[in-house]
Amino acid sequence: MAVYRSARDTNDYSRNRKQQYFLDTEDRYRCSCGNKCDEKCRHESRNESEFDYNFNNNDNDHDDATVSQDGEQYAFMEQESAELIWVKESCDITINTTDTQAGVSLQAGLQLAIALVLRITIGDSDQSEAVSQELMQQFDMTQSNKQKIYIYNTKDATVTTTDTDLAINIQVLLQLLVALIIIVDIL
Amino acid sequence: MKVGEVNMGDASNQGVPEKVVDLMVDSIFRKNGIKPDELKKNLSDEQKQMLKEMVEDLKDQVDQFNKKNSDPTNE
Repeated sequence: MAVYRSARDTNDYSRNRKQQYFLDTEDRYRCSCGNKCDEKCRHESRNESEFDYNFNNNDNDHDDATVSQDGEQYAFMEQESAELIWVKESCDITINTTDTQAGVSLQAGLQLAIALVLRITIGDSDQSEAVSQELMQQFDMTQSNKQKIYIYNTKDATVTTTDTDLAINIQVLLQLLVALIIIVDIL
Repeated sequence: MKVGEVNMGDASNQGVPEKVVDLMVDSIFRKNGIKPDELKKNLSDEQKQMLKEMVEDLKDQVDQFNKKNSDPTNE
């Protein structure tokens, strides 16, 4: 008598999970090593994890495994700065805050300069793009800077706020630019 | 110094150590099969001069930005 069994394909991580149907025969119990091993093979030791096993034994599905990044990955340098200073029932308060706008445009200028140096020196656009993207990706900074300052019932106070994140980003980008320039013997 | 002075952080002299940046650039160049010696040949003297000016200009701007940030009372 033919018994139909269904099984879920454990190697299939994609969305369209498929059901497999097969005849229930003696072969079902037969392991890949040729013996009857039930669920777990007793004749070969498998030290690798299930992920490694699937990864290594699914050549057709992982032809692109050497590609280090796909087209949807970009170099992000995300920043968010929010500042709130609340002064209440106080007098003679001095507040110094930083204008982040100047810093943001300076940062953009540095990023552009790095891309430019690479494009001019490497020449080949694909290659320079890859290097540029990889360099920027090392500084994958997602930063959030939120400051809330509440001054209440105070006299004669000075508050100085600095957007350190932006300043560090700029410093790092400049370092990178200088390093590149030194490599090509300009400085 | 006035009473209750609060400084949210000093931005000067921070960043990544120079050696780390050098090593990183070197490794990424290696990975992509780029030889620094060959890069030098790609540049004309005119281009070198232009890049040099650009970097020095940006350096000045960053210095100014840091100065303004670390000591805003000078404004």
